[in-house]
Amino acid sequence: MIEHFARAIAKIRGLFRNSRTEEELAKEITTHLLYLEDEFLRQGLPPLEAHRQARVAYGGVEQVKLAHREERSFPWLSQSLQDIRHACRSLLRSPGFSVAAILTLALGIGANTAVFSVVNTVLLKPLSYPEPDRIVQFWLNSTEGSVPGSSIPDLRFWMQYAEAVDDISAYDLNEAVLGLTSGMPEQVHGVHVTANYFRLFGAPLVLGRTFTAEEDRAGSGKVVVLSYWLWKRRFGGDPRIVGKAISLEKEPYTVIGVTGESFRTDPESDLWIPFQFNLNSNNQLHSFGAAGRLKPGLSLSQANAQLRLSSQAARRQGLLPDPDFAFVLEPLRDAIVKNARASLLLMQAAVGLVLLIACANVANLLLGRATVRKREFAIRAAMGAGRGRLLRQFATESVLLSACGGAVGLLIGLLGVYVLLSISPGNIPRIGVGGASVGLDWRVLMFTLGISLLAGIVFGIVPTLRVWGPSLYQSLNEGNQRLGSGSSQSKKRSLIVLSEVSLSVVLLIGAALLIRTFLALRDVNPGFNRQNVFLTEMSLHGSQFATTGNVARLVEDTRQRLAGIAGVELAAATCSPPFASRMGLPFAATGTSSGNSGSTGDAEWMSVSPGYFAVLRIPIIRGRDFNEQDGEGAPGVALINEAMAKRYWADRNPIGQAIEIGRGIGPDFADRPRQIIGIVADTRDHDLTEAPQPTMIIPLAQEPNGITRLWLQFGPIFWLVRTRIEPHHVVVDVTEQLREASGGLPAGRVRTMDEVLSGSIARQNFNMILLGVFAMAAMALTAVGIYGVMAYSVAQRTHEIGVRMALGADRARIRNLVVGKGMLTVGIGVIVGLAAAAFLARFLAGFLFGVRPWDPMVFIAVPVLLTMVALFALWIPARRAARLEPIEALRVE
Amino acid sequence: MIVLRNLATIGPQHAYQIATRLQQISDGLLNLNQGTLYPALVRLEQYGWIKGSWSKTESGREARFYAVTVAGQKALRAETEHWRRTSQLIERLLVEGTRA
Repeated sequence: MIEHFARAIAKIRGLFRNSRTEEELAKEITTHLLYLEDEFLRQGLPPLEAHRQARVAYGGVEQVKLAHREERSFPWLSQSLQDIRHACRSLLRSPGFSVAAILTLALGIGANTAVFSVVNTVLLKPLSYPEPDRIVQFWLNSTEGSVPGSSIPDLRFWMQYAEAVDDISAYDLNEAVLGLTSGMPEQVHGVHVTANYFRLFGAPLVLGRTFTAEEDRAGSGKVVVLSYWLWKRRFGGDPRIVGKAISLEKEPYTVIGVTGESFRTDPESDLWIPFQFNLNSNNQLHSFGAAGRLKPGLSLSQANAQLRLSSQAARRQGLLPDPDFAFVLEPLRDAIVKNARASLLLMQAAVGLVLLIACANVANLLLGRATVRKREFAIRAAMGAGRGRLLRQFATESVLLSACGGAVGLLIGLLGVYVLLSISPGNIPRIGVGGASVGLDWRVLMFTLGISLLAGIVFGIVPTLRVWGPSLYQSLNEGNQRLGSGSSQSKKRSLIVLSEVSLSVVLLIGAALLIRTFLALRDVNPGFNRQNVFLTEMSLHGSQFATTGNVARLVEDTRQRLAGIAGVELAAATCSPPFASRMGLPFAATGTSSGNSGSTGDAEWMSVSPGYFAVLRIPIIRGRDFNEQDGEGAPGVALINEAMAKRYWADRNPIGQAIEIGRGIGPDFADRPRQIIGIVADTRDHDLTEAPQPTMIIPLAQEPNGITRLWLQFGPIFWLVRTRIEPHHVVVDVTEQLREASGGLPAGRVRTMDEVLSGSIARQNFNMILLGVFAMAAMALTAVGIYGVMAYSVAQRTHEIGVRMALGADRARIRNLVVGKGMLTVGIGVIVGLAAAAFLARFLAGFLFGVRPWDPMVFIAVPVLLTMVALFALWIPARRAARLEPIEALRVE
Repeated sequence: MIVLRNLATIGPQHAYQIATRLQQISDGLLNLNQGTLYPALVRLEQYGWIKGSWSKTESGREARFYAVTVAGQKALRAETEHWRRTSQLIERLLVEGTRA
């Protein structure tokens, strides 16, 4: 045993003491030879002959040296170094080839690295909390999807029944924008949380403490926990901050603690405020997220099974609207990345295909090179290099190429991430502000390294296969030019082109489907007019807005001020503008087709100020719009949309019917009976891809106080302004008037309706752009591939073409010969690609709108486009072939 | 093994001597070529069983003499024992074979 160890050490030492050992070896051999020579001299041979005989008797000096070297150390290591040196030299000898190959690879690898960086950050990185896999989020799921957010009764129910989950906490799903008004006013992001929240997420503290259960009870004092970053930035890291008061929304809050540096939440937050729920409330507003930690030893499925068992009780309490609904637990990370996952995986798959095509191109280049270097390899084989050795040499070159490609690709990838993020819709979760969390880490590095090596193997393996062929020695005798590419060789190249074409077809079809989707979305009539309308929002926290009356007065005053600005046509206010979240409420109405008893159904609910429909140019189909007279004291009125009229009144006339909204779901929602006074046209203002939902609309001034209070606690109020001129010209005046009217509150996030609308299809736009770019890259690479193969083939067949011409073939015939051969390959590739795309299209179905996965137009247009590109790529070599002068072609030798 | 045995009985030798000596004792049956001898010497030296050092021969040439080390002698004894047992075993098997 010990001797093996000693030997290993000696071998490692042997790596470094090369030159001295070599010298000694040479000396030793010389001595040996001299002795042999002496021997022969003694036998009476003449000196010269003795010298010769000694050498003969000894055998090959170099072979002995080689055997010695191999024994002495790790031969494969030094050989690898030798291979690498050789590979470097041989790549440097043909810089054109090397640059082309490395750049092709670098683009492929770079694109993959960029997409993977985002995928890594969003989907793979664990959440930054302790034991993140055990944190689960509560959902209310139905067969049609899940309800975003939870309500207070839900939370109460879970605390009672979800025995498998500890530390059940609630938190805002979106951060609230709060005015921090102590000192220089600024807007900060705050999140409402319950007391358990900090324990659930394992928040470290640098100062003070977090909320107690008492402080989280309704009506307790106002306290706040600051984030490390806000504390450092805004309060200079004041060590005595705990106990001091800061002013939020002009109200004093006592600082009770500061979280640790590493505590980052999603949504990101500068400070945390207790929810102070009234847990006895029957308020059915689904407005916050709820999560908890699985009890030790329990699995997610066990906890879910336990939760399912309690669904009977939940139904009795009216928490599950109908049998389709159920409470479900889901790992928090899945919950956060839900929407982004599919689209990111799609991108990763697409960009992977691009890399495959890039590999195919490089394989093609290598194959061409291998043919040219056939003689080199034959000579090396003849001089004693084993096949394994030759293979290794080739593999070293491939891996060296891919490593260079990977290194350049990494740089391209880093740039690519910025490009990617700058065109991304900005709603990718977990990437931090402006994508700050997306960066290099070991996973990205390993990924890039991995795909580089993989790519090296993929494109390296094809050309090496030929080394195994029997003809290695024959090629020495071959007149290289004439018989240069055997039929197996050209078959291999055709196969590469074929696969490139099919991969491109798949990508192009995917891209075309997404383009069609985007166009269809852009052509959707949202039902309102978006020109010259902008909106801005304002948080109305604090006690002065606790009643509907106060809010309504602010709205009326503001509307008049805004209308007075030159260039402004009309203004309105609402809590749920197009593409913002809306709540659903049950209602009971008279005269409906389903009778008059109890609850008639659920519909979306919104409240608007007078002028809302005029600002958005949404027509009132029947009846009348709200006006300034529909105030707090006036009789209750409501509007419904067409979808609601159709669904519940069918062919009857809903106008004049009575409707009672939100009965039986808690005092906060208790509303007076209303009369339906009109029907407004449908709008697609939730999601362009969704059919309009039944919606009921009440005047903002007649909102129940409870809803106003709740709504403003969670969201801002939105001002919509229709202008006569370009909206940007009046923004400053409008914000100024808003600030004055509200007594100094800031208005933020000014967006034109155009921006809102394109924001709503930003994800589709992003998908389309990205897949489009990938598909274009794939097509370009494929065109280069086709061109390369055919150009090479023409060059190889110059002699043959010369003979054909000499025998009377005309130029057109030669051209058709080349084009025909190429198009055959392309044609088969297209057919294979179409079949693959037809199979894969189903996975794209979720991304599509207004176009079927097997859209015939796409499936016809893409092959036509690709065929045209292929023809163009073929034309150049074909024309070159046709222009050959027979005499010169024959002279090529 | 043979090289080791040889060095142990005769004492330090250089490569040429080992080669000729091997040829003699095996009656030319075992014509080790130099491509085998040199690597074998390297291996033995790396195992720490022999040690090579430069010195003058009787004819005044500089040559590398190989000598068996203490570890080498121990290994030789172990190896000898091993081979003896193996050859006895083989012998017995062969005898059995002829009897049957």
